[in-house]
Order: sequence, then C-alpha cells, then structure tokens
Amino acid sequence: MRPSPSSASFGWLSLGCVLVAALVACLERAPARFPHKTHLAAVACGSSGQPDCLSCTSCHRIGKDSDPPRGETALCRNCHAKDAARLTSALAAKRELHSSQISFNHDGHLALAEVRGQCVSCHGGVVSHGSSMPSMQQCFSCHEHAEQWAKAQCTPCHSFSDLSRTLPRTFLRHDAAFLRGHGALAGQNKALCQSCHSQAQCNDCHDISQELTLERRRPEQVQRTRVHEGDVMVRHALEARSEPSRCVRCHTPETCESCHFERGVSANRFGSINPHPPGWIGTNATASSLHGREARRDLVACAACHEQGPLTNCIRCHKVGAYGGNPHPNGWHSGQSSSQGMCRYCHE
Amino acid sequence: MLSVGASKSRARTFVVAWLCLQVPVLARAAEPLHVGRSATTEASLARDRYDVSAISESHAQLFRRALLPGPNGSLVSTDTVTPIYEYVRLGVRDVDTPLKKDSLDLELAAWARSWLGERKGEGLLDGDVQTASVRLRLQTVSVRLGRQQVFGGAARFARFDGVLVEARVFGQLELSAYAGWHVLPRWNERRRYEHLGAAPDNLQRDTPALMAAQRGQYWLIGGRVAWAGAGRQLGLSVHEQREPLGLARRNLGGDLRWPLSARAVAGGTAVFALDRRRFADARLWLDLSPLEELDVTLDFLHTEPGLLLSQQSIFAAFGPSEYDEAGLNARLRFSEDIGLDGALFGQRYADARIGGRGELALRVRVGALRRTFVRLVYARVSTGGNGYHAVRSSLSRAISQRWLATAEAYGYFYDQPIRGYRSSSVYAATLSYEPVAELRVLCGASLSRSPYAELDAQAQLRISYALGVSSGGRR
Repeated sequence: MRPSPSSASFGWLSLGCVLVAALVACLERAPARFPHKTHLAAVACGSSGQPDCLSCTSCHRIGKDSDPPRGETALCRNCHAKDAARLTSALAAKRELHSSQISFNHDGHLALAEVRGQCVSCHGGVVSHGSSMPSMQQCFSCHEHAEQWAKAQCTPCHSFSDLSRTLPRTFLRHDAAFLRGHGALAGQNKALCQSCHSQAQCNDCHDISQELTLERRRPEQVQRTRVHEGDVMVRHALEARSEPSRCVRCHTPETCESCHFERGVSANRFGSINPHPPGWIGTNATASSLHGREARRDLVACAACHEQGPLTNCIRCHKVGAYGGNPHPNGWHSGQSSSQGMCRYCHE
Repeated sequence: MLSVGASKSRARTFVVAWLCLQVPVLARAAEPLHVGRSATTEASLARDRYDVSAISESHAQLFRRALLPGPNGSLVSTDTVTPIYEYVRLGVRDVDTPLKKDSLDLELAAWARSWLGERKGEGLLDGDVQTASVRLRLQTVSVRLGRQQVFGGAARFARFDGVLVEARVFGQLELSAYAGWHVLPRWNERRRYEHLGAAPDNLQRDTPALMAAQRGQYWLIGGRVAWAGAGRQLGLSVHEQREPLGLARRNLGGDLRWPLSARAVAGGTAVFALDRRRFADARLWLDLSPLEELDVTLDFLHTEPGLLLSQQSIFAAFGPSEYDEAGLNARLRFSEDIGLDGALFGQRYADARIGGRGELALRVRVGALRRTFVRLVYARVSTGGNGYHAVRSSLSRAISQRWLATAEAYGYFYDQPIRGYRSSSVYAATLSYEPVAELRVLCGASLSRSPYAELDAQAQLRISYALGVSSGGRR
C-alpha cells in the first residue's frame, strides 16, 4: 500500500488554526462605544450651572443622511474641552456596519403617535448596548405590510442591489435543510425568492456549462456548505454510490464519460484496459454473467461509461430476438407505443 | 513559470480586449454608489426610480495539469495553463413602462473563458449566455421572455429559451405556463472528444448515432396551477420535454406546504413519470421549531435516479435502481455567535444494501469585534461498501475593514483504500482586499494530496466588481 498523507499532520494543523484564531480573537478589545445612555439620561442637565440637555438631534441629523456625526466636536467641547484628544479618537472610531441600507422616512415615523418623536422607540439598542438599528421584527410590530408581503415586495424599503447581499436573519431565515429543499420552495414561492435573488444566481450552481464550480469562484465563503467539497474527484464514485439521484439531478452520464475519456480511464478509449473481471459476460444467454447482476445493483455506474444513446451496446444483446434476454425488471410497463423512441431500437 | 512565447501577441490582444471591457465598469466605480440618494429636487423625485445591479468577476487561475494518466497508466507530459474567466451579471428592476409603473425587469448573465500561454487544443475563446430575459409585470400577470429557468414541480430545473406567463386569478389561484427550446448542456459536447476504439466487450461509440444537436427538436412545454392562502400552498404541474428521438420526459408534479401550527409545517413534493407510471421522486418533510433557537426538519425521500434522466437515455430501457432515504436536519443556535448544525440520513437501496450519511458542524464567531469565524465539521458517509470520515476546519478573519483572510483544511479518511491510499487532504487559503465597497481583489491558493495526485497546487486571482445603483426617483 502506498503511503498516505499524514492524518496526524492534518489534525495538528486544523487544531492549530482554530487555537491561533481563538487566541488572536480573545486578545482583541472592542473600541468603546459612544455612551449614549450617559449623555441622554445620566448627566444632570438643564439647570443653572449644568450643560444643556441633549437629545438625539443634538448630534444626529434626521432624514436621509442620518449618519452619526464625525469630527463635529464643537458641541462636545462645551463639556470635554480638556480631553480633546480622547474626544477626537472616540469620534473617529469605526461606525457600526449595517448589512443593508433602508429607504426610510424618519420624519413621518417620528410624527406618529406611537413613536412620540422618540428615536429610542426604534433605536433602543443604543442605550441597551445592542444594535443601534431596529430589527425587521420591530418594524413589523407596528406595520403589517400585508400588501407588500403578499406581493413579495421588499422594495422600496430595501433596494434590490442590497437585498442580493443581505442574509435574512429573522424573516425568511434559511434553515439547516434549506439546501435540500430549496428547489421545491423556489417553485412554490417564485416571486418571494426573486425579490432577493435573480435567476442568474441560480446559475452559480445549476449551470453545468461553466467549468468553474462555486467552490472555485467563492473560496472565501468558508461558512457555506458546498456541493462539491474538497477533493470531490477522488470521492465522486463514493458520492454517486451513496446518493445517485443527487448526481443525476444535474449531470448526465455523458458528463462522466467525457471526463473519463479525456483522462484515459474510459473503456471507450483505445488502449485502455478492460476494467471488467473475467466472467463479466457469459458465452450465451443461459450462462452465468456478472454484468447483469451489477447492472441491477448500480446502473448509474454502468451508464457512466456505456450511456451511448439509442445504439448502445446493451441493445445489441438485449434486443428482441437477440441472445441477451429480456432486460426489463418485473412489473415493467411503458405507456409508449413500441414504435416510438427508444422502444423501436429493440422492438422493431 | 508561464510560457507565453508564441502566444504573446494573442495574449496581449486578449488583455487589451479585457481592459476595454472593464473600462465602463471602472468608470462607473469611480462615481458615488448611490447617486440618487442625495438628489432631493422635485425633478429627481418625479422621475422613474429603478435599481441596477451589475456584477463583474474576472478569474485567473494558474496550475499545472496532465490531461491523462495516459493509456495503461503511462506517464504523460504536463503543461502549465492560465485560464481566464469573466463572469458578468446585470439586473435592472422596476423600470417604468407606458403600461405600468415599476413593471419592467431585465436580467443578463454570461461567462467567457480564454487562455494565457499554453492552451493545447483548447479554443481561444469559449463562453455562454446563461440568462438573458426581460420580464413585464402588470397587475396580476407577468410575462418573461428570453433565456430563463423554470424550477420546482414537474420541471425540476430546466433552462430554456422561450416564454413564461404567470397570472394570479381570484386572489389565491396562481397559474403559469411556459414553452421554448431547452438549453443544451454544453458540457456534453466537449471539444477534442474522439472515439478511437474500445475494449473487446464494449462497442465503440457509434458516431452516426450521435446526431448533431438541432435546436428546433429540443423543446419543452409545461405549466403549473397552484392555490395559495393563509400560508398553505397546493400545486399541480406538468412538464414535457422532447428530443430528436422522441420523448425525454413527461412528468406530473405535485407540491404541498401546510402549516400545522405556528411551530410546525408539513410539506411534500412528488414527480410522477407519466410515461412510466412510476414516481421519479417523492419527498415528504416536516419542519419543526420546538424552540426559538432550534430548527428541525424530518425528511423522507423515495427516488429512482434513472427516471430523472432523459428517457432517451439507456436508463429508460433498463431497470430502476430506486432507493429510499430518511433522516433529519437540525440547527441549534446557542446565540447569535454560536451555532450547531447536524444531519443524519439513512438509505435503503433496491439491492437491500444499507447506506448512511451524517454531519455535525459547529460554527463560532469569536472575539469582541466578532471578526473571527471558525467552523468545524465532521461528516461520515457509508455506502454499504466503501465509505469515509471527513473533517473540515475553516477559519475566516477580518484583519481590518478592508482585508479578509480565510484558511481551510479538509481531511478524508477512507474505509477501504482508494488506489492504495487511505486518506486525502486539501488545504486552501485566500486573502482579499476591498479598497472600495464595489471592488474586491482576492488571491487564493490550494494544495492537495490525494489518491490521484501526489501534489496538486493551484493559484487564482479574482477581481470582482459589484455595483448597486438606485436611480433616486420616486416610486
């Protein structure tokens, strides 16, 4: 037996990666967040000798450009004149990143009776150390958006270009079995799926005309479960034996043969060794032969090399009147006339 | 490493052509992303608002290859190749038409490939249009024309050039119908595919039997009627596909989705081969969420792989190799940063062979900044004959807002040796840089040792642009 790649080295390398990652990650410190609660509620204000009371709008502009203030320190210096350097560095800290941009009418919402002009009605996370952005669930607690939901219309709140990059975390969350059942779901909910995904995205996996698999195109997406994972070529016979349907949903037998042929492991290539053992084909119809039994066990494996359309070598022996005998299984029934399609090659 | 000698001028031509292709994209990338968002004048509010999404990906790979082990396993010379791939995807949504506001969508996706340096017999240029369609959405009717896909139900998945009409009537009834010529799988017609001979017990491929593809004879037609209301869905679909020799498949499909409670949804799909009067595929599932943090899907599948193929395949005449599969998928979210995925399935094949597969995956986002992601996966596959244990460990680290590094290692340990090897391993790493939100440059490399390669080393460079533009008008 040839020496195997060392499994021990693989184990140590994997473990080392994880430990290094965990160690590095544990050492990092999150930059201090702006103490919203302190400024909005804890600091005494408004009385004589005290600073003016602050509100959200003291720093933030309401409207489409509601980004946090950056470098606007004049107001801050009223109280923090002595620690300007710390102030500058705090304001230069990176902003929280949001997965998508929402088209949103702040003025209209602040005027609502339920909101009473209070930003924290939705952005409560800034004082509770959570996300400063409300969850979609929070939006829906007031708005049902029933009409948009029925029409699977995510726009205009979300823009289409953002949707294609946004992962659903609460609504429409893709669960663990999503990969297995996504085809049926896509058929049932076309409009809903297409509100985030274009048909072109299906091609990433389903277009077998392209040579680059998704694993090659997106190697950085390590969080994904992949269809052709690792050295799939080595395992492909095992995978095909384990879940043959999974292979043939996308690949035709010619896929197998064209590749085998190019790599010289096809019986159809001149000079290749006959891969079948002695006794594979009997000398007459009554003699024992191995190929029939194997074909019953795993026809997909046979078709990988012997799928040759209507003039296949199977038909040469198994056609009506030939010595191969009836190849059909018990209970075989076809609704087609024997003069049509494949039938006529044997039943002529 | 790369021999460009004879093909230098050709390579230069290709690079110039590629750069020309990128110029509009680069020019656009220099503009602000959301051009319309700051435009608040009445004029801009009154105009059509639409979304444009454009993605371009350029891949360059570098690897050495040997096209064959050679007849009888003989050694052959290797060559170093650098294929260049270009993927383009364009989507336009919600364009106004005289018929209705926000009623027109466009989609285009295509790829192309060329080579730098040696390309031994490969064509200089190759490529395909994957999707090219225009969709008009009116009140309750939509029409899509062009190269597109139909999925789910009896069609399963089919790409075709044609028309799809969808309508909603009486509020809850959905109708759809499509027809066109199906897109032939190009992979089946690889260049340099020659038929030289065969081993004694195999007929060589009969070239006269391999008819040239006549597009007109490859057509399909189908439709679906479905009822949807209160989260429940019930659908019935038909699909017929023809090839020059006759029927490829004639399927009847059924699908069901039925919420049993707020935390349980049952469903099923079936594809019935009408000409064979057998189920090609039937799946029943039950989605459960017993806890907010736990999703479980119980699953049963019966399938006959042969019936999923064209009936003009030899599978159509020779017996089935059906099998049943049952099991579950589960996802447990301990927190937003820690999750556990599991799957366990058992198979019973027609020959009474028993197989199984299972997987357990832990995903953790580590650190105060949550910039480090770790995933550990263990999987086990048994086919009743050979099988394997697999381990995958993945690491992703956002070094800064602009730099991202990933590393992965896979190990496979086989029950029975394959070509004398009991295990194989793959190592991959990437480093990507995002100078602006629209542009990402990625370098990647992989090393693997397997029963088929003592050492396989590959490198790739990817440049991708993703532009999203809203026109800024009012809806």
